Amino acid sequence: MSRSSKLPSWLKDGFGIVLLLLFILAFFNIDTLQEDEFFSLSPEWLTVNTIFLGIVIEAIPFLLLGVFVSSLIQVFVAEDTLQRFLPKNAYAALFPAAVLGAIFPICECAIVPVVRRLIKKGMPLHVGVVFLVGAPILNPVVAGSTYFAFRNDLSIFYTRFGLAFVLAIIIGGLMYILFKNSDQLKWRTEELRGKESNNLAQVPVNKQNRLKQTFYHASDEFFLMGKYLIAGALIAAMFQTFLDRSTLLAIGTDAWTSTAVMMVFAYILSLCSEADAFVASSFSNTFSSGSLVGFLVYGPMLDLKNTIMLFAFFKAKFVIYFMISVTVIVYAAVMITQFIVFL
Amino acid sequence: MEERKDYSFHAYLRGIILLGFALLKLGMIISGSIQLYIAPTMMPFIYGSTAILFLLGVIQILRSTAGDDTDEAACDCGADHGMSGPRYVQIGIYSIFLLPIALGFVLPDQTLNSSVAENRGVQFGAAEASEPQGEPDDTGVIQAEEGENFGEDTSRAEEYMEDPDGYMENVGEGSADAGAEEHYTVEEYYEDEQFDSYYAEMAEEYEDVDFLDIDEDIFLDMMTMLDQNIGPFEGKEAEIKGFVYREEGFTEDQLVVARFSMTCCIADASVQGLLIESEEAEQFEVDDWVQATGVIEETEYNGHDMPVLKVTNLEPAEEPDVPYVYPSF
Repeated sequence: MSRSSKLPSWLKDGFGIVLLLLFILAFFNIDTLQEDEFFSLSPEWLTVNTIFLGIVIEAIPFLLLGVFVSSLIQVFVAEDTLQRFLPKNAYAALFPAAVLGAIFPICECAIVPVVRRLIKKGMPLHVGVVFLVGAPILNPVVAGSTYFAFRNDLSIFYTRFGLAFVLAIIIGGLMYILFKNSDQLKWRTEELRGKESNNLAQVPVNKQNRLKQTFYHASDEFFLMGKYLIAGALIAAMFQTFLDRSTLLAIGTDAWTSTAVMMVFAYILSLCSEADAFVASSFSNTFSSGSLVGFLVYGPMLDLKNTIMLFAFFKAKFVIYFMISVTVIVYAAVMITQFIVFL
Repeated sequence: MEERKDYSFHAYLRGIILLGFALLKLGMIISGSIQLYIAPTMMPFIYGSTAILFLLGVIQILRSTAGDDTDEAACDCGADHGMSGPRYVQIGIYSIFLLPIALGFVLPDQTLNSSVAENRGVQFGAAEASEPQGEPDDTGVIQAEEGENFGEDTSRAEEYMEDPDGYMENVGEGSADAGAEEHYTVEEYYEDEQFDSYYAEMAEEYEDVDFLDIDEDIFLDMMTMLDQNIGPFEGKEAEIKGFVYREEGFTEDQLVVARFSMTCCIADASVQGLLIESEEAEQFEVDDWVQATGVIEETEYNGHDMPVLKVTNLEPAEEPDVPYVYPSF
């Protein structure tokens, strides 16, 4: 494992070539490798591996979508453009942000790079928060899957989207009260230096260069984000395999605890918001409609894999306040709706 | 200069890792094992991302070989993406990316089994009962209705086969035959606003079919349809294939024939199945694949009405290459 700049360049090139040859060799022998079980693990760990690969393979297209949107914003959107479209009043920006979040078909794997990029481009923090919590739920694909999963009980469909819209605005507003327009992103010293020079020299570049930049940028950001996503997927896969759900189910007996249990589930399962409705409907035998709404609203806003991403890119104090606010607000709102709608 | 070299080495290594991801996906697509991880509806995304990964990988490698024209190589976003930190951190970060590629190539594909099913909970019947189950119910033991009822239903099916129109008229009138009181027509259900029109149309379509072959394509829809509206299907013959699952409180002659269903990827797989009753049930172990043929009836389990297949023939079956079922939309 030689990856230091101090090593001679032939060794580094050689390492890369060997790695590539290994991949190609594995590619042509994928069936033999797997069927002969040269390497194997206990069934539980194979299940972990299966779920892990499932999440990673499934998430990569959406992560790519997120990093490409982010790099398009980076390369093509000038900072003053954003400022021009934002209302001057901080609270007035909340509602249009939620509406915009509903139009962008971006789910929770893709939203973190996009929001981070928008904030770096000068979007106020609280508007970014509205996107962060709203966009993964409020989008056409999620609406479709929720509709199909709960065709028998459309009240769940309506409460999910109603709550997501209202709560995104409330959470965004609360974040404004707490943090105003302070900078909550983590900046490394070299980034600050870069930011400086960037601001000074916004040289217009030719089109071909911009296209190349978009690709360079996207792949850099893929590596920046991907590591957190992969780590989160691994932890989620272990939880999915080793957590005995019956112990959690045993806790959730009344409306209060069952809502809490479903929110914990949503957090640790780290499902894609496009698919979580079907998982929720498989719980409909054992859980009340109200607690299913808790699962469907909380999961896309916060889960294990995006928590890791948030801690990597935002200041820890902000992430903790954000997580507490989202949890308390969603829980309270779901309990209130439960007593109004489902009783 | 040293920094620049290091930078191009990172681009080179990243390019190779991107190609590794692309090759893994392509390999899975060609060998077909991708179906064990991803549902067919998501496949367009997988194809697209594989192509993009190849493209990005090639671009990265070209980028690393580009001369020392730094302006062109570095994307000008304020040195956002440099890889920093001591060497062991860098090795650790690249290992995170190599992990899924290595595991994907090397480890055997695993299909989910009933231990996972048990943890996730298996849906059989009573999809609409939304109250928490609470304490285990000791009245959950099912009064097996063999003998008379069984024979009666078979004869009803025969009656139907001999004279479908006459039989349907009989059932439609309802009062003509005392036993038909519990049978409803599809039209009655259609009126019921609780009943969703999708399954009503489906029920209409299958009402005239006297043998329900519950195969992969219609498995999930059939489970929901039978749960919601067993009326027109009571007494019909059906065949179903799946793995054996048992729950605490089952009698010796009961088991569930279950399938994992996948919406997007394997992480969201859930389990659905049909309760069956057969004297040979105890001969089969949990996780065995079976094919069951029998007659659909309604029963009560843990206080919920649900469909049950009174089995006339239960035999071992081969596990399909792709054991999962998918929603029909």
